[in-house]
Amino acid sequence: MTTQHAEEAQQAGEHAADAAHGAEEGFNAGEVIIEHVSNSSLDHPIVHLPHIAGIDFSVTKHVMMMWLVAGFLFLVITMATRAYLKQERRIPTGFMNGLEWLVQSIRDSIVLPNVGAKFVNTWTPLMLTLFVFILACNVVGLIPVFETLGMIDRFVLGNSPESESLINSVLHGGTTATANYNVTAALATITFFSIMIAGTMAHGFIKHWKNLVPSGLAKPVYALLIPIELMGMFVKPFALTMRLAANMTGGHIAILSILSLVFLFAEIFASAAVGIGVGFTLVLPLAVGISALEIIVVLVQAYVFTLLTSVFIGMAINVHH
Amino acid sequence: MDLYYIAGVALGLGLVVVGAGLGIGKFAAAAAESIARQPSAAAEITGAINLPLFLLEGVAILAEVFIFAVVLLK
Repeated sequence: MTTQHAEEAQQAGEHAADAAHGAEEGFNAGEVIIEHVSNSSLDHPIVHLPHIAGIDFSVTKHVMMMWLVAGFLFLVITMATRAYLKQERRIPTGFMNGLEWLVQSIRDSIVLPNVGAKFVNTWTPLMLTLFVFILACNVVGLIPVFETLGMIDRFVLGNSPESESLINSVLHGGTTATANYNVTAALATITFFSIMIAGTMAHGFIKHWKNLVPSGLAKPVYALLIPIELMGMFVKPFALTMRLAANMTGGHIAILSILSLVFLFAEIFASAAVGIGVGFTLVLPLAVGISALEIIVVLVQAYVFTLLTSVFIGMAINVHH
Repeated sequence: MDLYYIAGVALGLGLVVVGAGLGIGKFAAAAAESIARQPSAAAEITGAINLPLFLLEGVAILAEVFIFAVVLLK
């Protein structure tokens, strides 16, 4: 009786020790989430490139994703358009139909009402490029391509996670290039200069800067108004930068924190069955719901970036003072 | 000390949600009322409400980014 009791106590003690040991090297949700939303670190670039003028030009995950998306879009859209132009009777079919619908709806529902009829053909190409690129970058981030490849590599082909293969080198970092503040800052810089170019094209260089503030006000008002308008010039692209990147990062963080509940529960109760049970009953429905929400967010953010860019360009062209 | 830190961040996040929720709720209410009064102008009302809605969303997202930065840069 006593020996049995002692054995049980010993076993319980071992379990507790195991659990404590697990907690020490256990699952760190924050680290995993940051790893999956941030760019791959400069210690693990995909292609090593030399430093030029103190800047590391190594190709990281986000750069690779951006190039892949840009190349894919260039190939697909150019090929579709070329094939369409070669037709004898110009009737769009299949993919070309969708493309024409996209071009027309962006021109007529985003650019035309904001920019105006005079400059609509000047600015539609830029808006289309922004929309398609941002949308494609966002959508690619939602598809776990590399994670699936890594899983096949680990469990089907049986390679170790430490080996120096190509698949292991692309596993570091997140897939959504638009979740990187540098990418969205570059896109917003395009907007920043487009606003100036649009104003200059419509009114001339000097008139564009004069248009920033309404004319015919009392002098003290200008002392207040000019700094505000100059600040507004920089706030617009800054807000664009933050909005897109934060939305993309936020959605991924939400999905990943819910998915990490599986591992947290499995760790707390020290059994895989609890984790799997929580996964199927709680985590799976929630993650599916948030992923569905993410699909909407992905579309809306690409739309918003395009809409706001055309609104700002329209404000520089059609000055209401 | 750490607890106060986390509590402050959580409180700030809650305030952001309250503010943004009030704003979006007002937008939705106004849009629903005006569409009910004039269903033929539904498309124009939606278009007019879109832009300020996104600007409001931008402010809320900015606040969340700064909260995130506060946590990260601790």
